[in-house]
Amino acid sequence: MKLWQKISLLTAAILLISMAVYGGVAVYETANYNLNQTKVAGARQVRTTAYALGQSLENMEADELSETANRAYLQFLLRRYSSRDFMLLQDWELVANTTDYELTGYQLSQFDSMEPVSAFQQKNGRYLLIVGQQIPMTDVGETTYQLLMIRDISDLYENVLTQIGMFLVMLGLIVAIAINIIFWIIRRMLKPLRDLQEAAGAISQGQLGRRVRVRSRDEVGALSVSFNQMAEKIEYQMEELEQVSERRRQLLGSLAHELKTPMTSIIGYSDTLLHVKINEEQQKKALTHINNECRRLERLSGKMMNLLELYNNDTIHMEAYPVRRLLSQVAELEKYHLKEKGIYLAVECQDEELVMDVDLMESVLVNLIDNAMKASKEGDTIVVVAEENRILVKDNGRGIPPEEIPRITEAFYMVDKSRSKKAGGIGLGLALCSQIVKLHGARLEIRSKLGVGTEISVIFPEQKKREEKA
Amino acid sequence: MVNRILVVEDDTAISELICMNLEVAGYQVIPVMDGGSVEEVVKKEQPIDLALLDIMLPGRDGFELLDVMKQSSIPVIYITAKGDVNSKIKGLRSGAEDYIVKPFEILELLVRVEKVLERTGKQREVIQVRDLEIHLSEHKVTRDGEPVNLKPMEYDLLVLLAKNKNVAFTREQLLNEVWGSNYLGETRTIDVHIGQLRKKLNLAGVIKTIPKIGYRLEE
Repeated sequence: MKLWQKISLLTAAILLISMAVYGGVAVYETANYNLNQTKVAGARQVRTTAYALGQSLENMEADELSETANRAYLQFLLRRYSSRDFMLLQDWELVANTTDYELTGYQLSQFDSMEPVSAFQQKNGRYLLIVGQQIPMTDVGETTYQLLMIRDISDLYENVLTQIGMFLVMLGLIVAIAINIIFWIIRRMLKPLRDLQEAAGAISQGQLGRRVRVRSRDEVGALSVSFNQMAEKIEYQMEELEQVSERRRQLLGSLAHELKTPMTSIIGYSDTLLHVKINEEQQKKALTHINNECRRLERLSGKMMNLLELYNNDTIHMEAYPVRRLLSQVAELEKYHLKEKGIYLAVECQDEELVMDVDLMESVLVNLIDNAMKASKEGDTIVVVAEENRILVKDNGRGIPPEEIPRITEAFYMVDKSRSKKAGGIGLGLALCSQIVKLHGARLEIRSKLGVGTEISVIFPEQKKREEKA
Repeated sequence: MVNRILVVEDDTAISELICMNLEVAGYQVIPVMDGGSVEEVVKKEQPIDLALLDIMLPGRDGFELLDVMKQSSIPVIYITAKGDVNSKIKGLRSGAEDYIVKPFEILELLVRVEKVLERTGKQREVIQVRDLEIHLSEHKVTRDGEPVNLKPMEYDLLVLLAKNKNVAFTREQLLNEVWGSNYLGETRTIDVHIGQLRKKLNLAGVIKTIPKIGYRLEE
């Protein structure tokens, strides 16, 4: 059963029961009151009538009259002092009767009292009130008289029944109306819950942009607000996840493509060596190519491993390290290489310390300087400047076309593919750098002008530096 | 007359691989390393019978170069790392004769080159093997102008080996190419026919048995 149905039915049931109890008590009390009133009125009437009759009977000289005359006289007296509904008894024998009823073997002894006594009787589907008493006489002779009043009070009962009927009709009507109103209100109050359910369903079906309208400021409204916040977060994270997986997919695609070129050479040359008759010089050439391409694959796999480690493993060893020492290590590493190419390296440095993983940052700088060397020609100078929170590598080489700059940190992207390949490049250097820099919370800034040169800066986060100073 | 083939490929290793094998098989090759200079080379080096084009090239890519080839009516075979169906469809729709996906086997390359030359009617007429001349259009083999009698299967086998000089075929490959892939015969059949060719044409030292592989016509 739905929540709104449960609440509505429960409310209706409580309303019905409480109204029924109240109505029952009210009807019962009213009926009781009316009955009592009737009894009291009857008693009063009987008492006065009995008193008046008593006066008359005292003055009567019964002995002087015959039996028949006596009866007629008593009948006359009864008619004179009362309306209908009375019975006069003489020594518990009926002597005069103005009612439509007969006196049967009713328990008359209960009326043997000087005060009116009431009793009820049900006869032929009618309800009768019987009030009786002894007629008081000062001169107590042998003869006693009793007066009985019999009144049909069926009307009273009928009245009660009518009232109960009316009450039931009213009760039905009120409960019906109330149930409708309660249904409507509760459905309305719970509408946001239905909306929430629908929205949650839609979101689980993949409509991540779905939100609910906040209709009220109550608990349900608060729930809606929280729900929207949650949906927002989920949508954002899903987008991010998709981007990550898209980047990985691209990386994998590029990798597969990148593997094909060396594979083609290796398969082709080995196939040639196996099946084709070639001279010794050609054989040597084929073997050299196979060897070179295998080395290339080896380099590629090494770099890929580095990159994947960086993607997966965030546990890098960060420490505050003097930049001057870092730069001198890098210069030492590149010394031989630079000499070979006839390129100079100039290092300008302040005495700063930056928080970094030394090995990783070293490989970033080596990569950047290698790139600068590839772009430079003999006799050029590569400048490395470290100041504040920035390390900059600058060359006067060929520069990068502006439209290529946003893409050069992508894995396997090479501005001049054939030239880079001849220089032994595999297009992963800057991708690696940018990943490492990202792990440091730093960023790469690339400025370049065709034919003038390129400046690449690693900019460390401002905050870390301040912490360090403090 | 030797067929001249233009090889446009930016990777040195692969370019040399293709050229080496085509040369050994008896073609003359013109290697070009970047897309930009292709047009110039085409003008200078006429006649060219076939072009092998890489699609991803510095300068102008393979699809652009197809127009240059069409102008000089040079049939084109694409050689590319893009093995997906869409790239193949695009390549073939644009008017290339064939499409080879890297990495490829040497035999595949040679057979496809040969088929395209055959289809476009640029195939050489006569193949010379020692003192023998194979006249392809007449299905005739002559020694010093004198015709030599060969059974049809022997002739086909000789032509296949002669067209791909210095390249070794396995017995299965020979069965496939000469008798067709539906032929259910044994590889012994090949040995018998090779024996016949060696005897009839006096090619015992030319058609060589390569241990564990098959046969090769060497020159």
